Amino acid sequence: MSGQPNQMSPVKLGLAVAWSAFWTGAPIKLGLGLLFLAMGLHPWESAGLAFLLLLSIPVDIWAVGLAGRTIFLERLGVEPPDSLGLTLWWQGAALYATYGSLACFLARQTIAGAKAMATRIMDLEMLKSVPVAERISIELVLWGSVAAGVLLALVLGGLFLFGKLVQRQANAGRPSSAPYDARVHQWDLMRVPADQPLMLTVFTAVGVSMVLLFWAFMPVTTPHPHESYKQDEKKAAQVLKPAEALQKAERVLTQAESSVQTLEEKAKKGKGKAPAPDKKAAAKQKKA
Amino acid sequence: MSGQPNLLEKIVAFVDERVGLKTIQAKMLNEPVPGGSRWAYVFGSVLLFIFIMQAVTGILLMFYYVPSADHAYASTQYIIHEVDYGWFLLSYHFWGSSAMVVMVFAHMSQVFLWGAYKSPREMIWLVGLALFGIVMAFGFTGYLLPWDQRAYWATTVGVEIMDKTPIVGDFMARFLKGGATPGQMTLSRFFVIHVMILPAMLMGLAGLHIFLFRKAGPAGPFRGTADELKAKTDYFFPRQVWKDMVAMAAVFVTICSLAFIEPVVLLEEATPDPGDYHPEPEWYFLFLFQLLRLKIFSGEFGQFLGAIAIPGAFMALLAALPFIDRNPERNIFKRPVALIGWILVMTGILVFTVSAIINREFLD
Repeated sequence: MSGQPNQMSPVKLGLAVAWSAFWTGAPIKLGLGLLFLAMGLHPWESAGLAFLLLLSIPVDIWAVGLAGRTIFLERLGVEPPDSLGLTLWWQGAALYATYGSLACFLARQTIAGAKAMATRIMDLEMLKSVPVAERISIELVLWGSVAAGVLLALVLGGLFLFGKLVQRQANAGRPSSAPYDARVHQWDLMRVPADQPLMLTVFTAVGVSMVLLFWAFMPVTTPHPHESYKQDEKKAAQVLKPAEALQKAERVLTQAESSVQTLEEKAKKGKGKAPAPDKKAAAKQKKA
Repeated sequence: MSGQPNLLEKIVAFVDERVGLKTIQAKMLNEPVPGGSRWAYVFGSVLLFIFIMQAVTGILLMFYYVPSADHAYASTQYIIHEVDYGWFLLSYHFWGSSAMVVMVFAHMSQVFLWGAYKSPREMIWLVGLALFGIVMAFGFTGYLLPWDQRAYWATTVGVEIMDKTPIVGDFMARFLKGGATPGQMTLSRFFVIHVMILPAMLMGLAGLHIFLFRKAGPAGPFRGTADELKAKTDYFFPRQVWKDMVAMAAVFVTICSLAFIEPVVLLEEATPDPGDYHPEPEWYFLFLFQLLRLKIFSGEFGQFLGAIAIPGAFMALLAALPFIDRNPERNIFKRPVALIGWILVMTGILVFTVSAIINREFLD
């Protein structure tokens, strides 16, 4: 099966490894990102980003190695060399640092230029009568197709260069003489760890720890309260003590009784008889 | 003593004898997957997972939510501000609905591109289309429930669009609104449809979808020689189960992250006066909303054409697809019409959705 690495185009080879590696590492990075979010650290800002990038290094080395070994054995018929993951990772990182920066710069410039050009075209006298909704979509298609074309070319360029790196590793590898069935079996054994209960235990332990950390860090109430919402004043519910309540009621009644008595005595002393009851007030009280 | 079954084994044997556990387990897990497990096959399982999570979070929210025009807004605010982790549950439920729509699109695209709707899987495709409609209906009915300006006006616009459907449109609009303007009757009806009717329909149809899928068997990859496929053919358990679980975990974490990054924040309480608010539907209906802003779709007939006739014709075309496209070729690179058609539809949806977002600047 030797010679297959050169038969496969570098773009295809680069895509096969990069695509699989991306999806292999993504769930773990997403989990880490979520944990940072629960802790109030944004993974796209300074400290969060630095932590995430740092923690992504071993994840990426593992993911590139796993994806690379699979492609080498299954598609290329080559025995994967040792430390394939580490080699492809540092070479890929160097490529990203150089080509990636250049590609980002080019993409930004192209998009800005295409946007300006699209606006200028739409400002032409003959196109001024185009309604707003149509104008928005036409402008978007104009600059969007240029941007999409350039982005696609840049991505293909990046995959070509990464594919060349993979190809170099594959050419240095020892061709496998095993038939396809045996290679698939070998590839299977490489993916599935020998001690599966241990792996499941580790996975469960990591999962449980992540869940506990997540709930421990997560804010209980919303971190974004609505400006017009009035938070309930959390008054401690008064505890009813029956004996105290009865005593209090008794005190109130005694006080009321003595007040009434005082008033009656005052009335007797003042006029010799109690004042005639106000009929209207009595009726009102009854209604109430 | 060796050889003697322990208590757990005895219980399993007892249940197995009466229920046929081992047969069910064998049927569920030992399904052969032609060509082996693939990441492209995870969408169906992920959709089922999202639905279960939506049901769980929905039930938890119902413990606090009051479906009345007087209390819907206040109870939603209460969930966000007072209930422990209520803001997270509501935000998860909100983003879960978006994830469901994205996954439905991904699943339908995968089936379309893989040619998996072709004979003998026409029925699976048709039931899948019905499930797509139910997912959209879930989004539409759930959007009203918080009873803020966004909810009220999105529903008003949606019902007005529905009104344009010939013959049944007027009845449907009147039935959903339950009055001249959206009010208590609208909220009650949307709530019942959202929490009772649609879940029952979805469970029934999803069960039928899975039954039909198991009956016909997985279509497998569209490339590869018979020998290659045979060498890589595998059972559903453990590799496809593992891939499904990883995909579910990734989707779960993504929804949680979105709930953190962009939690649900309500607008002002719903009123029949939109004020400064520009009504617009949920993001997955934005492309249609923007389409209706085009001059070609202005006027009574234009609105009918854009809102009802074209989407209706498109759905009818999708339903008829397995019966029109009878070519057994499944490789998408050998089906140029299908490939170009898919790219055009996806680009169209993307362009009009982004246009609707840009359009907001002009309205503001």
